[in-house]
Amino acid sequence: MRLPVGLMSMLGAAALAFAAVAAPADDFKAAYAKAEAASKEAAALKTQWTTTVATLKAAKKAADAGKLDDAIALAKKAEALAQASTAQAREQESAWKDGVIR
Amino acid sequence: MLRKISCDVLPIFMLVAAIVLGTAPPARAADTADPKAAFTAFRAYFTSRFPKVALDDFVNGPYSMDEGLRKQWKEIEEFPPYEFAVDKGKEMFAKPFANGRTYADCFPEKGISIRQNYPYFDTKSGQVITLELALNQCRQANGEKPLDETKDDMAALTAYMAFTSRGKRFDIKIPDDPRALAAWRKGEEYFYTRRGQLNFSCASCHVQSAGQHIRTEVLAPALGIMAAMPIYRSEWSGMGTTSRRFTTCNAQVRAVPLHPQDELYRDVEYFLTYMGNGLPVSGPGARP
Amino acid sequence: MTSVPVFLCLTIVVATTAVSAAPLSGEQLAFDRGKGNCLTCHDIKGGDSPGNVGPPLAGMKARFPNRADLVAIVADETKRNPQTVMPPFRRNLILTEEEINAIVDFLYTQ
Repeated sequence: MRLPVGLMSMLGAAALAFAAVAAPADDFKAAYAKAEAASKEAAALKTQWTTTVATLKAAKKAADAGKLDDAIALAKKAEALAQASTAQAREQESAWKDGVIR
Repeated sequence: MLRKISCDVLPIFMLVAAIVLGTAPPARAADTADPKAAFTAFRAYFTSRFPKVALDDFVNGPYSMDEGLRKQWKEIEEFPPYEFAVDKGKEMFAKPFANGRTYADCFPEKGISIRQNYPYFDTKSGQVITLELALNQCRQANGEKPLDETKDDMAALTAYMAFTSRGKRFDIKIPDDPRALAAWRKGEEYFYTRRGQLNFSCASCHVQSAGQHIRTEVLAPALGIMAAMPIYRSEWSGMGTTSRRFTTCNAQVRAVPLHPQDELYRDVEYFLTYMGNGLPVSGPGARP
Repeated sequence: MTSVPVFLCLTIVVATTAVSAAPLSGEQLAFDRGKGNCLTCHDIKGGDSPGNVGPPLAGMKARFPNRADLVAIVADETKRNPQTVMPPFRRNLILTEEEINAIVDFLYTQ
């Protein structure tokens, strides 16, 4: 059944708008998953930072409140923090010896 | 290669080698742990850096570092804020469990005057046993629920037990067991490892910055830093054990704290208490 | 619904979604315990109960004629002194680049 052109363009626009709204949600899910994975790695080394945990929580909270841009930014920050904490742990595996009283 | 160098050249070669090695970057601490050598170096570092502090006085932490604080402390000690904890601990220690047994049944010397032997390496279970862990093991063996290892009732019990040991000298042993040496070594590693977003190791404050102050707080030297445990801290308005101090310190440098009796915490307590061997039990203590 | 209440609603929504309030000044960033927290270790004029783990921060123009040197210290002093107890504010993402610059600007007034 052929829909009126006007209705089709409206549906098309609606579909595009829907897609535009869905993308940030997917972006957030992806960013959060990456951040969570990095955070778990740090936790397993027993070297996680409190700021990582807090930033991850804030990202979730922002997403739940619909503030997806903030949520994505926070998720990315949380991932960066988690990675920095793991980098610190790896470096310290040998670097700690440099500070020992001899 | 040495065989090919003739006798008259060898001394010159050795001299050159010595000069070259002398100016090379300092070798990293040996990979094999040597607690005795480390103990000697640790003690020498603090006594030579703070020549005016009597050796036994190091157990008084910040008060051994700062005259003004010391005066305040002496006044506080007239009505010690940990007194209530000692009294409560004494009562708790004497009260039988539901099954009729007591804490005395779990410990050598009936648990009196033994603080200076903790923590110890238990070769049976292959781990470091702190006084708090031993007390909870005692409770659980007698059908009682474990206590929060960081404060309140647990701190009251250890305050009483420390009080019965006042003046006794710490005597932490490292049994001839590779696991014990490994525990001491893990403790040493923990102590010197930078952690948290703020990138501090325990040594950052308690070795490098000992005696200096951060805002209004004077940093205690690591030598003898376990001797006053448990402590009444004005900042906490209450008592706290070693676990309380470790968990709050971790949080302060923005590191996620571990479980209060995590193996790493017990290992670093083992390391630090051993490094303070020969110093007197001064607990329970009062701190700002 | 009239246009005035809607306008008010929008401004309230905007205010609460703003990630931060008005940015802190260089001095505020330096003194704030959650930011630079410089007073914990350094004596700085105008600060209360400063610590003395690090040197007093005074005469900064004379001591650091090259701005990049001072920025480098705040960003990551471990590069210059691996044993320093100064936190690496940039490497560990404690402060943003803007915050580091604002603090350095403030330090140059000391």
